[in-house]
Amino acid sequence: MRIVCGGATDVGQVRSNNEDCFRLVESLNLFVLSDGMGGEAHGEIASALAVETVVKHCIEAESNAAAPTYGNPPPNLNASTKRLVSAVYLANKNIFNSAEAHPEQSGMGATLTALWIHDNALSIAHVGDSRAYLLRTGMLEQLTSDHSLVAEQVRRGIITASEAEQSEMQSVLLRALGTQSEVEVDSEEQALFPHDVLLLCSDGLTRMVTDPEIAGTLQAETNPQKAAERLIAIANENGGADNISVIVIRLEDESKGWLSWLLPGGRKHASSNGSAGGH
Amino acid sequence: MPKLSLMFEGRTVKEVPIGSRPVTIGRSPDNDIPVDNLAVSNHHARVYYEGSRLVVEDLDSLNGTFVNDLRIERATLHDGDSIHVGKHSIKVDASHDAPMPYDMGRKAAAPSINETMVLDTKVRRDMLQQAAAMGERTQFASGRFKVPTVIVLSGKTASQEYVLTNKLTTIGKSSMATVRLTGWFKPQMAAQISQRDDGYYIGPGDKTPTVNGTPIPGPTRLNDGDIIEVSGVRMNFIFRE
Repeated sequence: MRIVCGGATDVGQVRSNNEDCFRLVESLNLFVLSDGMGGEAHGEIASALAVETVVKHCIEAESNAAAPTYGNPPPNLNASTKRLVSAVYLANKNIFNSAEAHPEQSGMGATLTALWIHDNALSIAHVGDSRAYLLRTGMLEQLTSDHSLVAEQVRRGIITASEAEQSEMQSVLLRALGTQSEVEVDSEEQALFPHDVLLLCSDGLTRMVTDPEIAGTLQAETNPQKAAERLIAIANENGGADNISVIVIRLEDESKGWLSWLLPGGRKHASSNGSAGGH
Repeated sequence: MPKLSLMFEGRTVKEVPIGSRPVTIGRSPDNDIPVDNLAVSNHHARVYYEGSRLVVEDLDSLNGTFVNDLRIERATLHDGDSIHVGKHSIKVDASHDAPMPYDMGRKAAAPSINETMVLDTKVRRDMLQQAAAMGERTQFASGRFKVPTVIVLSGKTASQEYVLTNKLTTIGKSSMATVRLTGWFKPQMAAQISQRDDGYYIGPGDKTPTVNGTPIPGPTRLNDGDIIEVSGVRMNFIFRE
């Protein structure tokens, strides 16, 4: 499959600084997004440190598979997912240690959601309330669970999803990077198929733009960079209460000629660096 | 100070204030609230403050502790609740000077929070424990802890039974599909089941599955016992205890 991606970030309409951070590492098909928090400029430090740590750890592991692994990733995961969990765990340590060493940074933290694609296998690692979504056959499914108080309340049946959207406690996180010396990292693996669209975003998008608006935009705008910018524009039109960051990743079929459709499993031929055009 | 009132046949028999020490309830006379009844265990239950929240805990009693008619192992108490042990009830009065317990069940007038924050360890522990206590209540009411499971009734698949642990479970021929279909001409991704905050939903892939014989119009919430059919495979979706 051919992977095309785009990403953008914006300060929004209310905030004066942007504490979000994201990276597209196209050579590895690694996508990382983080939303920082903390007074002064410390949220920016936390999210930048989170993204930088994850990217660096994964790049190192690409050239040296024996590089140390942190945080005891679950044994049933594949090597890339384990590496991604290890990277997020390390990011937590780095932010926590930085805050310990610099008292003025005390209380800073960050969310982190990372996707890593190898052929048709997607690895996900996640802490906080940034989100990963998958748009497939017209349906938008959230691939991550928010580590927020309101999401936990919905899961326990204490409040409904619509009450959660109205709640004033939406910004209260139960898990984030950098606030404790240890962190539990969510991880998961998924099979990817041609025409899948992945979305990574900070809560500045999901609080301002509804799921149907997101799904509609991703379907209408097939250029991932333009789709990311369009989503940010909609969030800003709707108020832009927070920083907004969006990464859009599209998986495209490689053209193999009409015969490929007759081969069993013809639609799963995967390659991460295809050169032929789409479909 | 908040207090517990032991009631019997509508009369107040005894009142005990709740301080920093747990209040014990049981048949043995060394309890703060001794209840002379054979249905009550020697050391039956205790009530105490955990942070700002008032908790009742059953001490493995034989006949159980009930809060407002729901059997509990551990539960958060609110002003006006009734604890039942044997034939006696104990009224909870937390209205006087009681530290206001943070109630996850009701929408309290919370301060508006614009800045993202992480609950510090103590507050977080309290809130999660409270949520856990409420979870125990609801779980107790509906049975036991339940695991979503797909059982294959007919058709060719790699296994007969799948526990849904992922956010997204794919059903198809793909080597990475969770419920892997085997045999000729099966679609790579026939359908998928997604875990959302409010339940499990089945959606179409290359095929449109049926649920209880009806083709689904879009993502459809699954109920315990539903029969799913897609690509010649019949499956039963259940919450296994």
